[in-house]
Amino acid sequence: MGIGVLVHIIIVMALSPLLLGIIGKTKAFFTGRWGPPLFQPYYDIGKLFRKGNVYSTTTTWIFQAAPVVCMAAALASSLLMPLGGLKAPLQFWGDIILFAYLYGLARFFMVIAALDTGSSFEGMGASREAAFSCLAEVVLFLDFIVLVVLSKSLVLSRMIEGNILSSWPLFGPVLLLTGASYFLVLLAENARIPVDDPATHLELTMIHEVMALDHSGWDLAYILYGSAIKLFVLGGLFVNILVPFHGLSPMTQTIVFTAGMIVLAVGIGVVESCMARLRLNRVPQFLIGAFVLALVGLLVVLIKA
Amino acid sequence: MSFFLSSLVILCAGALLSVLLTRSRRVSGAVFLGTLISGCCLGAAAAVGVLLRPGRIHGDYRWNFRMPLGEFRLGLEPLGAFFLLAIAVLFLWAGIYGYDYLKHDGKKNVSVHYALYHLLLIALMLIVTAKNAVLFLVAWELMTVSSYFLIVFYDEREAVRKAGYLNLIATHTGTFCLLIMFLLMGHHTGSLNFDQMALASFPLPLAGVLFVLAVLGFGVKAGFIPLHIWLPHAHPAAPSHVSAVLSGVMIKMGIYGLMRVILIVKGFPEWCAVVLLLIGMTSGVGGVLYALGQHEIKKLLAYHSIENIGIITLGLGIGLWGQIVHNEFTALIGYAGALLHVFNHAMFKGLLFLSAGSLIRATGTGEIDQMGGLLKKLPWTGHLFLAGSLAICGLPLFNGFVSEWLVYRALFEGMFQFKLNAVVWSSLAIISLALIGGLAAACFAKAFGAVFLGNSRSLDITRVKENSALMRVPMAVLGGICVWIGLFPAMMVSFALRGAAAMTASAISPATEEMIAAPLKTVVLVLLVVIAVMAVLTLFKRISMRFLPVAKAPTWGCGYSVPTARMQYTAASFAQPLLDIFRNVLGYQVKGNKPKGYFPVEGKISSRVTEASEDFIFRPAFELIKSVSARLKIIQSGYTQLYLFYIFAFLLILLIWKMV
Repeated sequence: MGIGVLVHIIIVMALSPLLLGIIGKTKAFFTGRWGPPLFQPYYDIGKLFRKGNVYSTTTTWIFQAAPVVCMAAALASSLLMPLGGLKAPLQFWGDIILFAYLYGLARFFMVIAALDTGSSFEGMGASREAAFSCLAEVVLFLDFIVLVVLSKSLVLSRMIEGNILSSWPLFGPVLLLTGASYFLVLLAENARIPVDDPATHLELTMIHEVMALDHSGWDLAYILYGSAIKLFVLGGLFVNILVPFHGLSPMTQTIVFTAGMIVLAVGIGVVESCMARLRLNRVPQFLIGAFVLALVGLLVVLIKA
Repeated sequence: MSFFLSSLVILCAGALLSVLLTRSRRVSGAVFLGTLISGCCLGAAAAVGVLLRPGRIHGDYRWNFRMPLGEFRLGLEPLGAFFLLAIAVLFLWAGIYGYDYLKHDGKKNVSVHYALYHLLLIALMLIVTAKNAVLFLVAWELMTVSSYFLIVFYDEREAVRKAGYLNLIATHTGTFCLLIMFLLMGHHTGSLNFDQMALASFPLPLAGVLFVLAVLGFGVKAGFIPLHIWLPHAHPAAPSHVSAVLSGVMIKMGIYGLMRVILIVKGFPEWCAVVLLLIGMTSGVGGVLYALGQHEIKKLLAYHSIENIGIITLGLGIGLWGQIVHNEFTALIGYAGALLHVFNHAMFKGLLFLSAGSLIRATGTGEIDQMGGLLKKLPWTGHLFLAGSLAICGLPLFNGFVSEWLVYRALFEGMFQFKLNAVVWSSLAIISLALIGGLAAACFAKAFGAVFLGNSRSLDITRVKENSALMRVPMAVLGGICVWIGLFPAMMVSFALRGAAAMTASAISPATEEMIAAPLKTVVLVLLVVIAVMAVLTLFKRISMRFLPVAKAPTWGCGYSVPTARMQYTAASFAQPLLDIFRNVLGYQVKGNKPKGYFPVEGKISSRVTEASEDFIFRPAFELIKSVSARLKIIQSGYTQLYLFYIFAFLLILLIWKMV
């Protein structure tokens, strides 16, 4: 199991920034540019690892701890999720709750680290992050409820395996609704358009990026890396929900999973190219929309069952 | 049982001696500490003894002292023992803290306060062991009265006197319901002893009536919304160590009472479980939303007590549901989750109130919006407050997560095994619990961030100093317990399961216990991975910092060159987006005049949250009672003859009634 954990961590760390690269390429394609190379996110993180740190005199150790917690929580959550043919090294009855709460831990530290700087901009970002994530978490749990009812399991990897495959013929529309709702949560949780804009942090309308305004060097690298891993894990869950590839040979599963991830990254890129960011007071409505989608899914399941 | 009785005797002696030795503060203080420590240790030992060996019959003590209508009968059972453990641990550390806390109130009569503190402890110990309804009610009254006097310690302030009075009225209204409830039970079963009552079977309609009375009576004490109005006033008014025990264990007596009634009556109609789930959801979400709107630290914490009572009630509700549909597995997890959360909440809320007290002692104020940057000045208080915050938000690594995980799991299990309507209610409860978690995190990020991080907004903190060791050690111990249960939950979970098994009146097989506790072992494994990864990442960064330049600079002002501390986000502004989303529920209002023109002279803004149940239910209700009583005044003329006439008329009516 120890080796399984290590292998999982290494794979997740090696592949997660690639997703950002694909999104970047897609966006560049839509604006008619070549765009940065596919491996640009790796270069960015690598560059930050060679930079020194600047710490604000206002800050305490919390400012430095948040990036570490952020990345560690994201990595630990990846251990609960299967990657294609590779089984999740740690799984237990009820791990979906821990899965969601690990991100809660990371978020709490990011928010207080933003408040630690004493900057009004970061306070603004922290306040918005805290507000919107409350709603996003509720939708995430509602999606989980639908999947739990469908699969009769509280284990993340079993929840998205076998049973879902058998429920496709009967519950196809439900899975599509839940998938759509989960995709909206995915965009919100990972600070993507239309909830947040990952490309800029100086507008007063930004949420996630503005919280990392004062971080530099290794701290910033950890934050970027942690966000990339979070996108990879939550995205992987999306692919697992919607693509019924389980029961195939491990090799085929891995290929299908990889293809699914690439399609997801392109999909996010397309959304980001076609849409503008929503006005801030629209974000709750966006999340309530996601909530309603999942709720309809749940009702259909309950009526059919 | 002998441990428990000797603990009671020691505490009684301590209370008496403290009053007798009022003259010398030092002697009465020493007596207080000595009896407190020995009494609490003995009490905790008695509780642990019962929880370790639940199969054995534990003492059933009867004192040959006939009280009118009842008898003095005590018994220590797993359910009561679990509560007793929380009571003993929290009272011990809060008491030691209080001993030092009160030293600074030089002129007050502290000895009486010591005695009352002991009395409250004795009352709570009697409540969780009483086996007779009359004794239970007597202990309940003792709790009410002693807590009233503890709350009004700072009685020179009007708000404190009002809060104490409100507490007294509210609890007595609750006791009225309890009196009727116990009378109904006694009437039906022919005995006021809990054991005999439990042997009888209750028809469902009667069980429903008893349930409603129990919810009303015990709900006032527990602080269910909308019966909670006394709670947010009383907890901030009391000295901090008293707030800690009030919020940590006294309001849990409402929960204990409810569980005791469930234990006696056993068979309930299904709507009772739905009512409990509904109460859990409204109290949980409502409590945390009101807390978000508060900017005084102890008031904020008081509202969070309501939130946690909500979480506990969710566990109780799903447990009761499991019991009703004979699904013992779900019932066990639900009850165990509720019980463990009772203990956990006692620890972290105790810790939070103690550190809030330490904060107020050091700065002289509890207004969050004035503070900032205190982590550097008050490292102990600050870090322990952070630990308490993480625990109360239910975040992994701390104890709150373990009990919330159990409640979540019970709710999910309920979805698998029950009928359709249960799935609907469980889903709603799960969603509420998720919302509560998110909102609590936002609220404590706000409280911790605004008080301890950034720069001080308007408070002069240059002379702020950390408090004495005698105040810091109790906080550190409570924080240590929070981390211990968070990382090694096995023991407390098994204790909670013993209490839960007493509720379902079943012995848990080792296989069932394994099914419930085994996942928690993997939780710990994942948490260890988190800790290991954090250690590795920190190590790498530390090494890199040797080779790379590290600079210090002021916070980047985004190009603005003279930012001031007043420009930071305040607690009020931090909470604004969330309060705005829920403005219709909270009656959230923002008032003020915004600065106008190119060279604005002044501007101010203030926001507040309305207490709906206070303003729209209780105030009108009390006004109504007042006006009706005013009308009734005409029969009170003051003439003796008239009163004699009343008596005569009444006798006449009775006679006629008897004849017909």
